[in-house]
Amino acid sequence: MRLQGKVAVVTGGAQGIGRAIALGLGREGAGVVVADLQADKAKNVVDELYGLGAEGHPVTVDVANEAAVERLAKETFDRFGKVDILVNDAGVYLKAMVVGMSEELWDRTLNVNLGGNFLCSRAFIPSMRKQKSGRIISIASGIAHYGAKEFAPYAASKAAIIGFVKALAREVGADGITANAICPGAANTTMPRSHRSEEEVMARLRSNPLGHVLEPEDFVGPVLFLASAAASYITGQAININCGSYMI
Amino acid sequence: MSQVALITGGGGGIGGAVARRMAAAGITVMVADYDHAAAEKVSAEIAAAGKKAEAFAVDVTQARDVKTLVADVEKRFGRIDVLANIAGGSFYTQRIEEFTWAEWKEVIDVNLKGTFLMCREVAPVMQRQKSGRILNTASNYGVTGSALRTPYSAAKAGIIAFTKTLAQELAPDGILVNTVAPGPTDTPRVMGKESAEERNRRWSQIPLGRTGQPEDLAEAYYFFTTVESAWITGQTFHVNGGLVTP
Repeated sequence: MRLQGKVAVVTGGAQGIGRAIALGLGREGAGVVVADLQADKAKNVVDELYGLGAEGHPVTVDVANEAAVERLAKETFDRFGKVDILVNDAGVYLKAMVVGMSEELWDRTLNVNLGGNFLCSRAFIPSMRKQKSGRIISIASGIAHYGAKEFAPYAASKAAIIGFVKALAREVGADGITANAICPGAANTTMPRSHRSEEEVMARLRSNPLGHVLEPEDFVGPVLFLASAAASYITGQAININCGSYMI
Repeated sequence: MSQVALITGGGGGIGGAVARRMAAAGITVMVADYDHAAAEKVSAEIAAAGKKAEAFAVDVTQARDVKTLVADVEKRFGRIDVLANIAGGSFYTQRIEEFTWAEWKEVIDVNLKGTFLMCREVAPVMQRQKSGRILNTASNYGVTGSALRTPYSAAKAGIIAFTKTLAQELAPDGILVNTVAPGPTDTPRVMGKESAEERNRRWSQIPLGRTGQPEDLAEAYYFFTTVESAWITGQTFHVNGGLVTP
């Protein structure tokens, strides 16, 4: 187990990729704070963590809410006394064309997806600096590079996360903290189903050079690698996990 | 059965570390190098640690050499699961007008043509297996360029595009092809050129505050042999302490 004795916070940890990552971190020995807007689902993931023999703690949080993120940090330190790994996965995926889009939809997307990265990083970095080590892993998206019709705010927020992580890597590197992003390709989650038929979704998910339908579990390995000691010299990077659907 | 990895430049700083890392994980490593004595040394170290390794001499710029090497390995082990193309180098630091045609070709051939020749020979073996991992080696200079290293920067950029193309060609056979791009790394060859102080001053801008160790690179190459990287192909993986964040 590569993460024995480590403490991780996973925002958006109640479902999909965030849940898979939370469980993966637990399997490697980390204690995991499952932070999510959905209290019941977060609690379920914590139960699963205990089922794996790992420790967990659920926190209900809107990562776009400053006070709520401060409470998340406090609960994390009260429960586990420290934080080693922050996984910024919480995000919203709201559909609208740019022309006619409400300001609210734009703000909500940017506040949660990008602002959540800022607020959570700001909340946890001071203690990482004190211990001279830490891992920040933000979940961006292939859509940051590729774009997606009717998801301009999502694309903008995910591309912005990559820029944020690169800048953050340069700010915190001297204290032994790395900051990286992963860019998942389209995966078999509820996300793409919000606006397409089941048949269309599966055909699209399969249409990559490797012909594989990505599942949430497929992104866990690279995250564990980035969280582990093996990746201590990798920072400021965006890792594309997309079965070769694009290459940059 | 143990996996088999073929590592070119396996007698060098990064190549040797990669060979040791993979061997430690139970992979049988073929250490191939232009400098046969260097390959022997690495393979002997690995064998002394109780792991499996063999040394080979190869000039990756010579198609016949490459063919012989790959045929040898295939005959002995019947498979090649991992190919790590690490043989390379910048060799010269000089202005473009000082480069002779022969020097230019030397740098392009060792880095880029050698990668091509090795991939051309090993890919059919992996296609028959319907599995395999190819790891090519670029450099942050392949993205940023580097004054006084025109052929090296061009060759490394070439490797990145070559990798993407090969990844597309081999994906239907379940073969993954990725590039590892090392930043400044403390290898004996590089450190021989400048003092530790010069080196530290030169690279004081690295966000993580230190130059890379061959072992840092070895972990990244090893990652690409594991199931954890099963869905990554055609990508460039920068290991540089945050110096370059393309």
